[in-house]
Amino acid sequence: MKKTSPALCFVFLLFSNLCYGQNRIGFFLFKDSVISTPIRLSSDDSLSVLRFYISDLQITKNKKVLWKDSVRHRLIDFEKGSFNQKSARILFPLNVLGDHVSFLLGVGEKTAARGIGEGDLDPIKGMYWTWQSGYINFKMEGVSSNSPSRKNKFLLHLGGYKKTLNTNQKVSLSISNPEINISFDLNKFLYEINFKERHTIMSPCQEAVDLSLLAKACFYVH
Amino acid sequence: MFIKGLITTGTIFLLFSFIRIWVLQDRLPEYLPQPFYQIPTNPINNDTVQLGRLLFYDNILSVNNTVSCASCHSPFNAFAHTDHDLSHGVFDSIGTRNAPGLFNLAWQEEFMWDGAIHHIEAQALAPLHDQREMGSSINDLIEKLQKSDFYKVEFLKVYKDSIINSSRALKALAAFELSLVSFDSKYDKMRGGRASFTAQEKAGYVLFKNHCSRCHKEPLFSSNTYEDNGLPIDSLLNDMGREVVSGRKEDRYKFNVPTLRNLSFTYPYMHDGRFKKLRQVLDHYGTIDNQVLMRNSGIKAPIFLSLDDGADLVSFLLTLNDKSFVFNPDNAFPKKLLPKTKDK
Repeated sequence: MKKTSPALCFVFLLFSNLCYGQNRIGFFLFKDSVISTPIRLSSDDSLSVLRFYISDLQITKNKKVLWKDSVRHRLIDFEKGSFNQKSARILFPLNVLGDHVSFLLGVGEKTAARGIGEGDLDPIKGMYWTWQSGYINFKMEGVSSNSPSRKNKFLLHLGGYKKTLNTNQKVSLSISNPEINISFDLNKFLYEINFKERHTIMSPCQEAVDLSLLAKACFYVH
Repeated sequence: MFIKGLITTGTIFLLFSFIRIWVLQDRLPEYLPQPFYQIPTNPINNDTVQLGRLLFYDNILSVNNTVSCASCHSPFNAFAHTDHDLSHGVFDSIGTRNAPGLFNLAWQEEFMWDGAIHHIEAQALAPLHDQREMGSSINDLIEKLQKSDFYKVEFLKVYKDSIINSSRALKALAAFELSLVSFDSKYDKMRGGRASFTAQEKAGYVLFKNHCSRCHKEPLFSSNTYEDNGLPIDSLLNDMGREVVSGRKEDRYKFNVPTLRNLSFTYPYMHDGRFKKLRQVLDHYGTIDNQVLMRNSGIKAPIFLSLDDGADLVSFLLTLNDKSFVFNPDNAFPKKLLPKTKDK
């Protein structure tokens, strides 16, 4: 997608500095925190679904783990404006000052190979393939004028956990501040995709791996 | 308390042993390989099996409450679908493949003819969501179960609380399916020293070892692999088989090697149910043409069998039938699901 409006190009994953007792509370939201459905990217293009898993979120210093998220897998869900604070809210201690924050983009190979999970891993969340097994790690759907598919839709369901088609990606970001703001550069992600050629990905494949690597590269700390 | 103690120790080996003993009611032959299913993620007991049995036989799983798992997996057919080459679903839809028998699933690594499903707990999602099978969704099913007074009680019995979610429902279904164990055929009795083969069965056993056992490995009579068995392509179905899942061209027209156990009950045969008789299957293997053999087929040459040899081989294959499994009332339709009437 070559034309996107810069005004709504970023998904922000904020660890806010609101304090609750000895904990800092963090949550994920869009830049302006007001989400309409669908998310308008330009006059012709929009996003209707954006969901992805993050797992094993942790803060490290000199490769030593200082803090680890007590919840192993979290589904970040922006669908239909239903910003799910409950599932995205993350608490971590105030006194943690590391040099890296890291997480897995996806549920991980072991969880995928296991059976059915609960909570955010529940198949009713729409992140489990039914025609073949395994979790969808990253799901993005919307409309692009560049997409030649029916109603100009694009469906990117990035999953797969076996060997060469593994779409789980480790994201590790350098930090220098106790207040951690992690962003996902949606503009960069969409700009790289040629929707004329790949508008529909619904199964484990090399294209899904390529896009998961692109998604990995779109997270940054500021 | 005993089970609780085992779980808290976290001794997977002991848990495995317990489950194996429970599942097979002391009838597990020692010559079986280790099962693939990881028991610790879904501790099985009789209550979960019975809940799974209710769900398995209940039409509530389909969008219009007309089709259950048992619609295509009948207990009297070793949980296959006799008389239908292709399975059918809601609104008289016809699928693209034959419904296989369901038993000994703990020893199966992947599921469906193309191995698309990697875990038995996830398997039910496929027919549930398929528009040609149940046409429903896990979301709709859970909503229906949560509204059902009957299932509120049944889930409470098993889990001691009122939570009904997809994990519990799918694991209960898996528990019932895992309990469908069939190792009491004449072949098993012969292996256990409780029966003897006739001269014809012995001759058939030799033929089987020479011609069939590379793919249909004892004692499961499958191999958890995918093979192209040289069938002519059905141009209407144009089923690519394993290639759809793996994305590899070399997997084109390959399908899961099915078990040969309970063959008398699971006809018709092949992934598209094209053969009604075992004799037709043998004829196929004897007449595969060279063009098909060049197609990356698992069969390297036609398997020519005389009529006598064919009869001997079939005689052996019939020793793999397990009537005590097929007619086991514990696996049959649960009376609890019968509609309530005022009749006494």
